[in-house]
Amino acid sequence: MVMIKLTNVSKQFDKEMVLDNVSFEVNKGSIYGLLGSNGAGKTTLLKMIAGILKQNHGEITINTHPIYENPALKQTVMFIPDLPFTFPQYTVKQMAEFYANVYDTWDQERFHKLHDLLGLDVNRKVARFSKGMQRQVAFWLTLCTMPDVLILDEPFDGLDAVVRQKIKNLIIQDVADREMTVMISSHNLREIEDICDHIGILHHGSFILEKDLDDLKSDIHKIQIALKTESDELFDQLEIVHQEKRGSVHLLIVRGGREDIDQIIKSFNPVVYDLLPLTLEEIFVYEMGGVGYAIENILV
Amino acid sequence: MFDLDLRSRKPIYEQLVDKFKEFIINDVMQTDEKLPSVRILAQQLTVNPNTIQKAYRELEVQGFIYSVKGKGSFVDGSAKKVSSDEVKRIKSDLEKLLAEAFFVGITKNEINELIDLTYEQIGGGNGND
Repeated sequence: MVMIKLTNVSKQFDKEMVLDNVSFEVNKGSIYGLLGSNGAGKTTLLKMIAGILKQNHGEITINTHPIYENPALKQTVMFIPDLPFTFPQYTVKQMAEFYANVYDTWDQERFHKLHDLLGLDVNRKVARFSKGMQRQVAFWLTLCTMPDVLILDEPFDGLDAVVRQKIKNLIIQDVADREMTVMISSHNLREIEDICDHIGILHHGSFILEKDLDDLKSDIHKIQIALKTESDELFDQLEIVHQEKRGSVHLLIVRGGREDIDQIIKSFNPVVYDLLPLTLEEIFVYEMGGVGYAIENILV
Repeated sequence: MFDLDLRSRKPIYEQLVDKFKEFIINDVMQTDEKLPSVRILAQQLTVNPNTIQKAYRELEVQGFIYSVKGKGSFVDGSAKKVSSDEVKRIKSDLEKLLAEAFFVGITKNEINELIDLTYEQIGGGNGND
């Protein structure tokens, strides 16, 4: 079942086109990772899905209803921005009371449970907490509203490894138990790789890639190969994204299924042959290189 | 129950599939034993439930487990009949390893002994490596 759906969405700030004709879907119970270069439009996209910004063109629906200025729907959609907001002077307890008033689905019992888990003082002013602790408070309050859709902008920034694991575990429990739908934007690709099942890469306001993570990984491979006799014929048969030569060993990034590549390469009787799946970080770098956003070795 | 190598290049769902296969082949999991539910395993391993579901589906396609609606997934006793693709892959892995073994000077006799020893251990029924 489709939970979040964007159809031909465009967004402009003054004359600057931030998002250009973006369409995609996120299924219910899926964890979707939104990646992209700096300034690609990730935060703008998330804010529109949360119903904070209005798109200039196109349609954004959550559970088939338009989200913008739809308070009933927003009861079930939670957004944690990259800088979580709390009222100045409010303690955690006061913030919780505010949330309980606004959200019908507020779960007080869960609030106490998470209090035990996170161990933060409820009577302390939120603004007095450290950056990481403030983010924990944001998760704490948000998860107690039992959202159907959770939108996170750089969620793990500033959290230590232990807390990060706790938070991830909480999110996964909600996905497993209640089929919560999650959208995460992050630059920490390792983090995304572990937790997401779908990936979209945004660049200059449009998607350059949008796929199931496992499909993505099984469709591109890193190959190390050495041949007894050099032959360009082999390279012509492969769909090569990137090619390097180190001594007599060729390093290739090749698109295609594992079996097909295996068959082609084995027919050339290589002396050395290794085929490795790519990490998400490598996929990101090579895909970005493909649209002219490459890492260059510049001497300064 | 077990740990995944999150630093590995291998996709998590592939790691899950391989792990369960290993358990089933070595009788760590018995025929008709229930696999942990998707929900529980997801929470224990902090892994996306969709990934676990996918791994279970793959195991089912490969004939290692069967699922009963509303009850969960169970180990399939007839799992020992492994697909021909799998056999091909194992054979090619073995070839590679054997070539390496001969190269570093391990003799044919030594390898034969190893084969006998491994065969006994599996045949003896204790799943310890």
